[in-house]
Amino acid sequence: MIKISNLHKIFSTEEVETTALNGIDMDVKDGEFVAIMGPSGCGKSTLLNILGLLDNPSEGSYEFYGTEVAKMSERQRAQIRKGNIGFVFQSFNLIDELTVYENVELPLLYLKTPPAERKEKVEAALTRMNMMHRRNHFPQQLSGGQQQRTAIARAVVATPKTILADEPTGNLDSKNGEEVMSLLSQLNAAGTTILMVTHSPYDAGFAHRIVNLFDGKIVTEKVHV
Amino acid sequence: MKIAVRNLTRNRIFSFINIAGLSLGLTCCMLIVLYTKDEVSFDRFHEHKDQLFRIKVTMSDDRETRTIGSTNAIHGPSFKEEIPEIKEIVRAQSNTFVTRKGNELLSEDVLFAESNFFNVFSMPLLSGDPKSVLSNINSIVLTEEVAEKYFNTKDAVGKTMEMKVGDDFERFTVSGIAKKCPQNSSIQFGAIIPFEFQVARGWTDKEWLGFYMNTFVLLNEKADYRSVIPKLNQVFKSKSADEISKIKDFNQKISFSLQPFLDVHLDSDVSDLRNGLGRGSSPIYAYILSGIAIFILLIACINFVNLTVARSLNRAKEIGIRKLVGSQRKQLMYQFLGESFLLSFLAFALAIVLTLSVLPTFNELANKQLALSYLFDIKLVTGYFALFLFTGLIAGFYPAVVLSGFSPAQTLYNRTKLTQKNYLTKGLVVFQFALSVCLVIGTIVIYSQFQYLTNKNLGYNDKNLMSFNLGRGKAAEQFGMVVKEELQKMAGVESVAAFNGSYNGTLGDIESGKIGFGYIGVDDDFLKTLQIPLVKGRNFSKSFPSDPTQSVVVNEAFVKQAGWKDPIGKQINFEWKNQKMTVIGVVQNYHYASLKDTIQPLLMTQDPNYGLGTLFLKLTGKNTVETVKAAERIFRKYIPYMPFEYQFEDAKNLKRYETETKWKEMITLAAILSIFVSCIGLFGLATFNAETRVKEIGIRKVLGASAASIAALLSSDFIKLVLLAIVVALPFSYYAANMWLQDFPYRISISWWYFGVAALLAITVAILTVGYQSLKTAMTDPVKSLRSE
Repeated sequence: MIKISNLHKIFSTEEVETTALNGIDMDVKDGEFVAIMGPSGCGKSTLLNILGLLDNPSEGSYEFYGTEVAKMSERQRAQIRKGNIGFVFQSFNLIDELTVYENVELPLLYLKTPPAERKEKVEAALTRMNMMHRRNHFPQQLSGGQQQRTAIARAVVATPKTILADEPTGNLDSKNGEEVMSLLSQLNAAGTTILMVTHSPYDAGFAHRIVNLFDGKIVTEKVHV
Repeated sequence: MKIAVRNLTRNRIFSFINIAGLSLGLTCCMLIVLYTKDEVSFDRFHEHKDQLFRIKVTMSDDRETRTIGSTNAIHGPSFKEEIPEIKEIVRAQSNTFVTRKGNELLSEDVLFAESNFFNVFSMPLLSGDPKSVLSNINSIVLTEEVAEKYFNTKDAVGKTMEMKVGDDFERFTVSGIAKKCPQNSSIQFGAIIPFEFQVARGWTDKEWLGFYMNTFVLLNEKADYRSVIPKLNQVFKSKSADEISKIKDFNQKISFSLQPFLDVHLDSDVSDLRNGLGRGSSPIYAYILSGIAIFILLIACINFVNLTVARSLNRAKEIGIRKLVGSQRKQLMYQFLGESFLLSFLAFALAIVLTLSVLPTFNELANKQLALSYLFDIKLVTGYFALFLFTGLIAGFYPAVVLSGFSPAQTLYNRTKLTQKNYLTKGLVVFQFALSVCLVIGTIVIYSQFQYLTNKNLGYNDKNLMSFNLGRGKAAEQFGMVVKEELQKMAGVESVAAFNGSYNGTLGDIESGKIGFGYIGVDDDFLKTLQIPLVKGRNFSKSFPSDPTQSVVVNEAFVKQAGWKDPIGKQINFEWKNQKMTVIGVVQNYHYASLKDTIQPLLMTQDPNYGLGTLFLKLTGKNTVETVKAAERIFRKYIPYMPFEYQFEDAKNLKRYETETKWKEMITLAAILSIFVSCIGLFGLATFNAETRVKEIGIRKVLGASAASIAALLSSDFIKLVLLAIVVALPFSYYAANMWLQDFPYRISISWWYFGVAALLAITVAILTVGYQSLKTAMTDPVKSLRSE
C-alpha cells in the first residue's frame, strides 16, 4: 500500500525556483494498476521518481507499505528500493557493457542471492519475457522491443511488490508497445502493483485508474473499468 | 572484473593512454627501486660487516677542514697493539705494474693487502685457502677475469706471473683465484699481492704524518666503535708527539675516527675511494632519480584521475542504474577501484617487460651493473607488488569516490552537469605541465652547463696534445731526454715537453706567513708546448744554469694568495726541504684539474729530484695515427720494458665530466617521458572534450562558424592551462637550477631564453596535441553530430 499526502517538490537553482509538485494526495492499493497522465512539464516523472524512492519530496508525507520514507537518506531509500520496486524506463536504461543475462541478474547480485537461486530466477524471468534465446547478446545488438522486454525482466526478477514504468512504450513501435503493455497487464494480474506514467491514452486504457496531473496538481482521477 | 575488461576494450584510446602512461611511470619506479636497492645493498655480504670500519682522518687549520680515508703504514699496527678492542687490521694500497704476457707488455693495477684480507673481508675464493693464500710474499691472487686474461683459464693456481718491480721483472706464483668482485662491493681488485712484500722491500715508512693507504679495522664482536675513537686519538697524540715537535709552526689539528664499512659507498663526506676501494656514490643520485620516477608516475596517475573523472558522464547512466537496482555506494567504490587495479595490473605487467628491455641502457646511464636476477629478490618483488597496489589506489581512489556519489535521479534523467567547472581536472593538468616544464628547463640548464664545461677556455691548449708515461725505472731516467729529443725531430710534432707527472700539494714560507700550494716539476718547453701564457717575468731557460736549483714560476692564483703586488724576485721556502726559491715568472691561471674545482696556487720548479717521467707532445694534427705509431717506435727503442700507454688531453678532460654527461642524458630522457605522458593525457582530455561538445559544435557550424574558429574554441581552454603551468613552473625551476649550479665554481648564468625555449616547447607540444583533435572535430559534417542528438 502506497500513500502520499500533501506532497510538494520544488527544484531550486541559483536564479529560479520551480514547483514541480504542488500538494499531491494519492493512495495506491496493493495490486492496483494506476496510469499517471498529463502534459509535458506537469510533474509526472517527478512524481514517479518520488514514488520510486529515487528522490525526496520537499514537503509532505510518503508511506510505503507502512513505512514513512519522505525524509529518508539515499542510503535508506536504496535499502527499501532493493527487491521492493522494479523500474521500467522509456529509454530502457540497460547497461551497455553487460549482456542481457547479466543485466537481468544485477538486482539479484545486490540482494546477495545465492548463485543457484539466482540462475533459476534469471532464467525464469527471461523465459517469461521470451528473451532466453538472446541472453548472451548485448543491448546494442537488440531491437527496441527486445531491450524493453529485457528491462522488464530486470524489473521483475526480484519479484518486487511494485513496478514503476515511465513511458514504457515511448520509444517503441505500436506492435512492440502492445506487447509491452500486455506483459505489464499480465504482471498486474499476477498481483504486482503497477504505476505507469504515459502520454498514450491507449496505454492508459490498460490501467484500473487514470490520474491526470496539471501544473503539479492532480486535476482528475478516473476509475477505468 | 568482466565489466572492467569490457570497458577497457571498448574505450581503446583511453585504455591505451592510461596503460601506457602508468606503465612508463611504473617502469621508471622499478628501475629506481632496483638502483636504490643496489645502492643500499653495497657491502652487506661481508660476514663481519657490522664490526668492520675504515680509519678516517680529519685535518683542519685556519682555512679549511677536510676528512680523508687514508692513513700511513704505521697507524694500523700501532692502534692494534694499544687498543684491545681491535681484533684485526688490514692495510691496503694499490700500485700499477708493468706485466708480461708472452711477448706483450701490459699494465695491471695490483692491490697490496695484508695476509688476513680474505678472513676479514668475505670476498669469495674459487680456489685457495683464505687463511694461507697470501702467506707467501711472492704469491699473487688473481680474479677469474684476470686469470683468463693472462692464462686463458681460471685454473691458474701454481702458474707464474711476471711483474716489473723497479727495473727487473719478478715472478709471482698464483696462489688463489678469487671470484669477480661483486658489483655491489666497494672493494674492487683484479690482483692481490701480500702487503708484507712492500714491507720487505722497505717501501713503507714509520711516519705518523703520511696518508697514502687504506687501513681497515675489525673490532671484537661486542666492541662499541664509539668508545674506540678516543683511544685512537690518544695513541696518535702520544706516538706522534716527537715527530710533530720537529715541524716548525705546525698548526694542523689532526683527529682519527672510524667510518663504518657499510657507509663507505654512500659517504660523500669522505670521498677518497682508492687503494682497493671504488664504485663510490652519493645518496643525492638516488634522491634525484627517485624524484624523477615519482614525477612521472604522478603525471600518469593524474592522467588516470583526469580521464576517469572527465569520462564519468558516460558512466553516469550505468551508475544510476546500479543504484536503482540496489547497489550501495561502497559496492560501487569497490567496483571502480577494482577497475583501477585491473588497469594498474596491466600497466604493471607491461612495466616489467619494459624494465627487462631497458635494463642494459639504464645500466649504461647509471653506471651500474644491475642484473636481471635482482628482479627476483623476494623483498623487491614485495616492493613492486606494493607499488602496483599503491598506484591502483592513488589513481583510482578519487574517481571511485566521485563516481559512486552520483544520484540515480539526476543521472537517469540527465540532470547532471559534471563538466561545468571541474577545477580538479584543470588543476591537475596545470600541475602535470608545470612538472614537465621544470624538467625541460632542468635539461636545458644541465646541457648548457655541460657545454660550458667542455668548451671553456682552459688557459692552455689541449687540442692535439698527447701525453704518455716514461715509467720510473733506470731506462726512463737514462733515456727520457733522448726520447724527447728524437720526438722533437719527428714530422707531425710541433713541440715536446716533460713534467714529473702529477700535481702534489705542500706548504711553504713566504714573507707574510705560510702558503699552501700545488707544485710540479717541468722542463723549459712546458709552457710553450701547453701554450700557457706568461704574464710576468720569464720562463725557465738553459741560459740561467741556476734555474733548476733556485728558480720557480708561479701562477696568478699563487700571487693573489700571497698578496704580492710585484712577485718577480720574491722568495719561497719549501717547508720540507728548507730551501729558498726565487720567483722568476708568473703564468696565467690554467685549469690543470677539473672545472669543478677552483684554480689553486701552483708552483713550477725544475728541481732535478722530481724526475720528468711524463712527456707531452703537441701534434700538428695531420696524420695523427702515423705520428703516434712513430712515437711508439721511438719509445720502444729506448724503453722496451714499459707498455706504451698514451692519452689525448682533450679526451681526458672530457672524461672528467662523465657524470655530468650521464646526468644530462638521464634528465633529457626524464623530460621527454614526462612531456609524452602529459601530452597523451591532454590528448585524452581533448578527445573527450570534443565528444561531449558534439552537439554544440554542430549548432555553431550550422550558424556559420568556421572550422578554424571551432578548433580555436576547443583548444583555447587547454592552452590557457598550459600557459598557467609555465608561469607556475618558472620560479621553481629558476630556484632549483640556481641551487644545482652553486656546486660549480665555474658556471653559466641562467639566461631568460632557457625559460623561453621551455615555454615555447610546452605550448607547441600542447597545441599539436590538442589542435589535431580539435581540427578533426571541427571538420566533421554537422548533420552527423546533430542527427545523433
